[in-house]
Amino acid sequence: MEILVQLIFSGIAIGMIYAVIAFGYQLTFATSGTLNFGQGEALMLGALVGLTCVDTFGMNYWLMIPIVCVFGLIQGSLVEVVGVRPAIKIKSEFGWIMSTIALGIIFKNVAENIWGRDDLRFPSPLDDDPMQFFGANILPMEVVVVAGALGMMLLVEFFNRKTIYGKAVVATSNDRDAASLMGINTRVVIMFSYALSSLTAAFAGVLVAPLTLTGATMGASLGLKAFAVAIIGGLTSGLGIIVGGMILGITETMTGFYISTGYKDVPGLLLLLLVLALKPSGLFGKSAIKKV
Amino acid sequence: MNSKKITLLIVAIAALFAFPLLIDNPYYIHLVETILIYAILLFGLDIVVGYTGQVSLGHAGLFGVGSYTAGVLFFKLGMPFWVTVPASIAVTAVFGGLLALPALKVVGPYLAMVTLAFGTILQILINEMTFLTEGPLGIKIHKPTVMDVELTEVQYYWVVCALLLASLVVVHRILKSHLGRAFEALRDSPIACDCMGVSVYRYKVYAFVISAGFAGLAGCLYSYSEQYISPNTYNNELTILFLLAIIMGGRKSRMGALLGSTIIVMLPKLLDDISLFRMVAITLAAAMLIGSAVSIAKKLSTPQKLAVPVAGTVGLAIFSMWLENITDWRLSIFGFMILLVVYYLQNGIVGFVKSYYASLVGKSGQSSRQALSSSITAASEESIIKAVGNQQKTGDLLNVQTVLMQFGGLKALNQVNLNIKRGTIHGLIGPNGSGKSTMMNVLTGIYKPTAGNVLYAGNSITGKTSSEIALSGIARTFQNVQLFGEMTALENILVGLHHTFKSNLLDVSLHLPSYTNEENEARSRAMGLLKFVGLDELADEEARNLPYGKQRLLEIARALALDPELLLLDEPAAGLTAPDIKELLAIIRKIRDHGVTFILIEHHMDVVMSVCDTVSVLDFGQKIAEGKPAEIQSNEQVIHAYLGTV
Repeated sequence: MEILVQLIFSGIAIGMIYAVIAFGYQLTFATSGTLNFGQGEALMLGALVGLTCVDTFGMNYWLMIPIVCVFGLIQGSLVEVVGVRPAIKIKSEFGWIMSTIALGIIFKNVAENIWGRDDLRFPSPLDDDPMQFFGANILPMEVVVVAGALGMMLLVEFFNRKTIYGKAVVATSNDRDAASLMGINTRVVIMFSYALSSLTAAFAGVLVAPLTLTGATMGASLGLKAFAVAIIGGLTSGLGIIVGGMILGITETMTGFYISTGYKDVPGLLLLLLVLALKPSGLFGKSAIKKV
Repeated sequence: MNSKKITLLIVAIAALFAFPLLIDNPYYIHLVETILIYAILLFGLDIVVGYTGQVSLGHAGLFGVGSYTAGVLFFKLGMPFWVTVPASIAVTAVFGGLLALPALKVVGPYLAMVTLAFGTILQILINEMTFLTEGPLGIKIHKPTVMDVELTEVQYYWVVCALLLASLVVVHRILKSHLGRAFEALRDSPIACDCMGVSVYRYKVYAFVISAGFAGLAGCLYSYSEQYISPNTYNNELTILFLLAIIMGGRKSRMGALLGSTIIVMLPKLLDDISLFRMVAITLAAAMLIGSAVSIAKKLSTPQKLAVPVAGTVGLAIFSMWLENITDWRLSIFGFMILLVVYYLQNGIVGFVKSYYASLVGKSGQSSRQALSSSITAASEESIIKAVGNQQKTGDLLNVQTVLMQFGGLKALNQVNLNIKRGTIHGLIGPNGSGKSTMMNVLTGIYKPTAGNVLYAGNSITGKTSSEIALSGIARTFQNVQLFGEMTALENILVGLHHTFKSNLLDVSLHLPSYTNEENEARSRAMGLLKFVGLDELADEEARNLPYGKQRLLEIARALALDPELLLLDEPAAGLTAPDIKELLAIIRKIRDHGVTFILIEHHMDVVMSVCDTVSVLDFGQKIAEGKPAEIQSNEQVIHAYLGTV
């Protein structure tokens, strides 16, 4: 029983990370109908930049977070300008898929050359001593991850709903052409959504880093699984990704414990294939009506 | 094909086979062998990426399935080469189907991610299922044996050459057949494709299965070529490399696949040697500079357009001088190349060379195509429109029974009844948003009605798919023209004639008479149909280049190819000039005389009044009037709906 509670709780923690990355997919998908296939690499860069701040410059973990967030903003804008904008201009879906993949490869390779190929340990800002909770051992960092992830998503949602800049984002996501005719610079909005999406990913990176190892290769599978979460939950539903993240996180820790860690990634991906086969718009998504 | 081309082809094939005799270095032979093996995979990948326009990131996984099928069969059961080859193809094709069934319900970025997930699962499975695959240890394989003698490297090279040529012929034949046309059509307009009786979903799955079969063959040959396979080979990097090869070489081109495969095999070798890489980078930058200078001087392009690629190549050259160790930056260079190709070389090297050549010579590729259709004799009008022949048969062809179509709270169609008599032209009019097009979509299975029933020739068609309904005899045109833009007018009609083909994959690959007869018959009928609507002169023009009025006529001709009993025309006169409308009316009457029944949605009242036998009026999803055109014209309610209260 204790083990089960513990597995569920670490599942929720990792699931929240997936949810934050998936949230990033939703942000860009809403404004421009495109996704950053290098989202996992944005997370990885955030984590490694954070590590350098803490390790090399001896910065405090909490002070480092805003710096990483700013880095995420810049990195996301770069992806949009180089990879996505030309594709939107020529209306080429193949174009942005390939160029964001290519940018992801480049980021990963650059990271390998700067930080090396080995996984690095990220010092935990909190006690490594687990807390007791219903008899299960829970790391304080796991609580921080859950709270941080939820806080981040709430903050962005608040921004979108309550501020005038957020209204521009919402307007663009509803109808890009109409928003543009109303004087909203949709190009800036799309760029901003990419910046925001990479910011959330980089933030997720420094949150998850103390729990796992940090390295150039950490992004790929996280990005893919977060996509699975976005699909399972639906690309348009905020609640969907939180539920989807938890489902995936818990199945994963369970599989890892009861079957084998080698197969850890399989159930999530199978779930993805299953959801697509049965309900392509996701568990919480609305299906679109095709117009002829 | 002219004799010059054939000679060139024979020389190329001879050179390919003679290569190991001329160069005795096993390293180079193996290198060329790898290029050929990758090319086989790329032929298949091109079907998915180039023709159906789907992004697959799962092909490295499928390649792995092919390799491991051969590896496991050899290692565990000692199976010979002639068993492992077909087994690899079959097993991988099954895996391709497994991937396609769930994945192809979605499109674009979703599909890309799903195929990526599938590839990742395959890699994990190969790694973890140690009882079958020996896991990370890998499997050792010998070269195939013939009569207990193991083939030498050179002999195996010839085997690969022969299989490459066979694949080339098969792929080419598939893509030139009705299957290939279906693949291209579903990319250009999936909805029109379904409404032509070609099920988009089914043909996407076919494309994936065929593509996977080639990946399997390539994988099998690869494991014998390397003589050792391990899970790490089949990673996502390889997938990206395959895609790079396709887009860089050129989509929809076998030459492009060969070129692309040469690039991706040679590139890593090139990147192993820094001085060679520097030389190539500088040459590339110089070529780009000179090329751009020439283009600007000849006013083929503007400096703004060329600034980025020139800066990119020059930057690459400078980067190469600064680097000390190139191997570490290999992936960045791949990524960089993808970016460059995606935005500045969209049609690949083959496409670029073709268009550059054309712009230099100053003629388009049309002239060679023109010859194609001129050899086809058009079938007579009598035989092209299969006379329905039951004009005497009276009664209703279509009964729409209290159909309700609800989108959320909006009732787009509210308890509508319609009865269409055989052999009549039934007009459907109403103000914008009254539900006319929704009715068309319900009738053709694009929407499934919330409630109610549609009977066609006595049978219910509610809940059937668009392609089933199309095949049962209901054809349509679209309000916003839905032609297959990149295909010629003739090919557009041939997609409509898809239902006349009974040949399977084997008939097509071997060009058996059953297939060639069907193809010739279809072509002459297609030509006849084009002649019927007066487009025979434009048979080889791409549909997107036709003027608007001609596009509408082409859509009608394509719909006729389905041998419909009921033809739905959705605003056929919209945007047409007065003479075009006259032509259209004449064509509609001619088709009606052959016994075809019409439903006609139209806003041009003169068109409706002059051809329709009966007119129904919709307003806010409800039928408010029905009767002879003259009666409708004077109906109070109709006037009210159109003009408001006077």
